Amino acid sequence: MLSNIEFFLIEAFRSVRRGALMSFVAVGTITVSLVIFGFFVLLVINLGNIVGSVSNKIDIAAYVEKDLSLEAAGALQLRLSKIPGVDKVSFISRTEAWKNFKEEFGDKLELDSVIAENPLPHTFNVRVKAPEFLPRVAKEIAGAGGIDEVRYSGQLIDQVRSLVDAVRIGGAALVVLISFATLLIVVNTIRLTVLARETDIYIMKLVGATNNFVKWPFIIEGVILGMLGGICSFLILKFAYDAIYTRISVALPFVPMVGDKMMLGVIYMVMVLGGLGVGMIGAYISVSKILKAEE
Amino acid sequence: MIELINVSKTYPNGIDVLFNVSLSIGKEEFVFMVGPSGAGKTTLLKMLYRDEVPSSGKVIVDKINVADLAPSQVPFLRRNMGVVFQDYKLLAKRTVFENVAFALRVTGAPRSTIRRKVMQVLELVGMLRRANAFPEELSGGEKQRACIARAIVNNPPILLADEPTGNLDPTTSWDIIQLLEKINKRNTTVMVATHNKSIVDDMKRRVVAIENGRIVRDQLLGGYSR
Repeated sequence: MLSNIEFFLIEAFRSVRRGALMSFVAVGTITVSLVIFGFFVLLVINLGNIVGSVSNKIDIAAYVEKDLSLEAAGALQLRLSKIPGVDKVSFISRTEAWKNFKEEFGDKLELDSVIAENPLPHTFNVRVKAPEFLPRVAKEIAGAGGIDEVRYSGQLIDQVRSLVDAVRIGGAALVVLISFATLLIVVNTIRLTVLARETDIYIMKLVGATNNFVKWPFIIEGVILGMLGGICSFLILKFAYDAIYTRISVALPFVPMVGDKMMLGVIYMVMVLGGLGVGMIGAYISVSKILKAEE
Repeated sequence: MIELINVSKTYPNGIDVLFNVSLSIGKEEFVFMVGPSGAGKTTLLKMLYRDEVPSSGKVIVDKINVADLAPSQVPFLRRNMGVVFQDYKLLAKRTVFENVAFALRVTGAPRSTIRRKVMQVLELVGMLRRANAFPEELSGGEKQRACIARAIVNNPPILLADEPTGNLDPTTSWDIIQLLEKINKRNTTVMVATHNKSIVDDMKRRVVAIENGRIVRDQLLGGYSR
């Protein structure tokens, strides 16, 4: 049995080498389709990331009643932060708010000559964990006591939320579709390499080879071709993505690209293992079909 | 060794090839099977190595009814039977050595045995110096020698040859037939389907003539025609 395994491996590698052109075309096709697959996965993940980061930047502004003391405001902050769905509550004192306002608009309006006294209230900036919590959290803040007015951009929220949904659903659909197309292309490519040797399979059977004896070298060959395609596409995509990542983080630093090594690693691994697995399955199906037809 | 009992074959497209053929071939016999193209010679041989199954009747090889054999058992039948084809059926991307070795590899023979036996058999057929050539580099006669080497490397008790000289010139054809005779003398039953009148006439062996799917003559020390 051991000598058989050795023989199958030798056979598979020899077949890859002697059918060099066919192997090259197969690996090329698998590489291209996996690069397209990986490109779309990265695109969808990054779009989701960008849209998600925008929606996370939407805050609720809660204006505190004018006559509330600082101590009472502190207690109120604690209460607000305990509302379910609230991520973070930051306090902006009226002095600070007035300073910020003047810094932003002061030189244009010459405010001090018009307004003598700071008209702004203390403000809580409330960040929620997900945009869909905004309406409920806003309502609860308004009912918390000591709050004069609650504001957030409802329209913007709706737009962002529908954009998030569109990207998520569309992206998932796209990835499923591309996965399916990649699967078909890889299986068919491997199938062509097997079909080209249909006569060989027939001859092997005539000489007394069992089905398993015929199958194994082809399956190993499918694994080799699929894995080579996977590795090539991984290298291409990694180089391209790293280059784009560096450029964008310099040129457009406000666009948050996914740089999570772990997540990228998983995607690259899926490409290599996917190529390998699909190559193996493609070879198995194709050889079995030919063998079945010859029985 | 080989026995056909009332064998008939109708192909799925409705064409009848063999009618009620009965034939018995003993151990170590040398038999020519002659007849025009389409007479059913190839179909008869294919039934022996189970590339075809009869529509009715029994095909017995070495006491086993080949027609009833499970697909998983077919490889073991074929290892006990060498087959020589008119179109050689060599694996194109393998050398002569590898082609012959393949027939031993499928049996799980150890590497050292394979090497020794392949060399022996290549020597027997006169192909030792062409061991590392690929089929496309060989002449017709060389290809046929390689094919014969592969057929006999397992020392099968039976050798079947379907038009082994069909693509060869007269001199080469003689060489091949003499090689088959040599193999016959090594205690192998040999059955040769052929069109080659001069060879059959000169060899004076048992001749089975088939026409339109029927055996019309079975003659010891026979010629191509009556």
